[in-house]
Amino acid sequence: MTAQHTGRPEAPRPRLVAGDGTLLRTAEAIAADWAVLGMRGSFLARRLDTGEQLGFDIDDPVPLASVVKVPFALVVLDRIAAGLLDAAQPVTVDPATSSVGSTGLAAFRHPATVAVGDLLALMLAVSDNAAADALFDLVPPEETDARLREWGCTDIRVRHRMQRMYECAAGVSGDDFTLALELAVRDEASGRHTVETLDPAHANAGTARGLVDLLQRVWQDEIARPAATAELRRLMAAQVFTHRLAGDLRTDTIRVSGKTGTFLHLRHDIGVVEADSGHRVAMAALTRSDRRAALAPDIDAAIAAAARQAFTVLRGR
Amino acid sequence: MDLLAHLEAYVAVVDEASFSRAADRLGIAQPLLSRRIKTLEHHLGGQLFDRSRRQVTTTAFGLSLLPYAQDVLDGVQRLRRAAGAAQRSAARTVGVPADCDPAALARAIRTGAEHGITLAVRELPPRERAAGLDDGSLACALVRCEPENAPLRTPLGLAGAPPAPPDTPTPAGVPVHLEDLRPRRGSRAPRHARPVLTLPEDQLPATQDRLARTAARAGLPESLFRPAASTAQALAETLAGRTLLLCTEPFAARHGAVWAPLFDETLHRGYAVRAARGQAAVAPVPGWLSGALAASVGAVPHTPGAANPPEDPRARLAALG
Repeated sequence: MTAQHTGRPEAPRPRLVAGDGTLLRTAEAIAADWAVLGMRGSFLARRLDTGEQLGFDIDDPVPLASVVKVPFALVVLDRIAAGLLDAAQPVTVDPATSSVGSTGLAAFRHPATVAVGDLLALMLAVSDNAAADALFDLVPPEETDARLREWGCTDIRVRHRMQRMYECAAGVSGDDFTLALELAVRDEASGRHTVETLDPAHANAGTARGLVDLLQRVWQDEIARPAATAELRRLMAAQVFTHRLAGDLRTDTIRVSGKTGTFLHLRHDIGVVEADSGHRVAMAALTRSDRRAALAPDIDAAIAAAARQAFTVLRGR
Repeated sequence: MDLLAHLEAYVAVVDEASFSRAADRLGIAQPLLSRRIKTLEHHLGGQLFDRSRRQVTTTAFGLSLLPYAQDVLDGVQRLRRAAGAAQRSAARTVGVPADCDPAALARAIRTGAEHGITLAVRELPPRERAAGLDDGSLACALVRCEPENAPLRTPLGLAGAPPAPPDTPTPAGVPVHLEDLRPRRGSRAPRHARPVLTLPEDQLPATQDRLARTAARAGLPESLFRPAASTAQALAETLAGRTLLLCTEPFAARHGAVWAPLFDETLHRGYAVRAARGQAAVAPVPGWLSGALAASVGAVPHTPGAANPPEDPRARLAALG
């Protein structure tokens, strides 16, 4: 489809990353499929045993939304494994002061007391913002960021609590979702972000390579304490959202452990695909789009299709 | 004194050489004719006719003035002809969209003639119709407005190649919902929705933005609706089965395409009949003209649609899973 035909300027071509011709063609096909739907962003899929990978734009820093809950959870779990924090410690979350969100404790209308370990479960299983920010009260963003530096995760930045995303969006739009979304889409063209949490220089941010590196180290116990990585793998397997990376892969023989992230025009998912055949592939799909809609089932499906294609071609090596 | 009537009487009597025949020719009573000649002779200061004999004859004075009288009357004739021609060339130009129903436009022109108004019809794209009203080159026009507030609404639908292709969501004639255009899951279904081309009449920025937003809300790419470079290209791609076409039912029927209306009336065309700015106060668009113009674009009576209920604003702005 030419730019003249679609009536919009041609997007810059993605920078492809692939081990050989077959992988390159798969990466190209995924990028082309995304372009038809008005999606851009990064994609990376890597076999954990061989390191073979395919993807594109894998070093572009991207604002992270809820995907940041994965590196954050690892830092919290490592503190628990180190004995610095008690997983059984009760925390009371009061809707009067808790963070905005649509799931978990953020959707509660009455105060609830939940143990630290279960806040982690809620944060990863249903992307609970209130649970996440209750944990940020115990392990602040600066401390999380410093720990990731120590682990060499230089491509991932944790700079703020989850509530800041809502505050920045509501701050420019006055609780008007449509307006905030319009601004987000418009700002992609100019590169000047009205919503500060969409600016990779000020937001929680990461790259596809940085996140896949993190997943690989978690799955291979090459980061943090083994008790922390094991618990993170267990919690990520319990995620309820399966419409993106897992959408066209899940069977009784293939498991997908992941974490989605959605904010205005951002639609993300990172995860690890594990098959009974023993093959394991870590993936990150970090998309943004020109779509002025809260729901975009075809974009979710395109992420699912990309995951399926990538897993199939990488497993077939 | 009505000099022209008196000069006419004078020239008629010279031509006919008789007061009674001249009175007949002018369709007036002979005493009135005689009075006019007397008044004119008094005005000019001399006898024009010799009435002393049985046959009326023109005097030398009367003959000498005749070319001048004739010249004045010819001048008046030319003045009248010029006025008539000017009247006809001051035909009122009406701006209409492309592909109007010619029979309805013909009705407008005929009815105009009966009202003594010469109408000229010009097909123009929407922006030029609005501009024509502003600069006075159009006396009135069908201008586009939001379908919600439009006095006239022309239903739009999706045209496709006949016979209905297997992925057509609904049979011809049954209203189409945009969500129906989403590709179905499964390997045999096409991966992407077929693009929908729009005609120049719908290539206004506001209309295109509305179409893109509505597509997005229905789970389709914002680029679903694409402006066609020309009507011929749009039809060719549509009849070849590569695209769908946003158009009216008569347009689809004329070109042999199958057509189904869009259920969402906010995507239909809204029209209003407007007069040029300067003339609006003096000459509002007459009812017979508005009616004929409405018929020419196939407008239907306006039915206001229901508004969507408001949603809880806060949670949508937070980071989601």
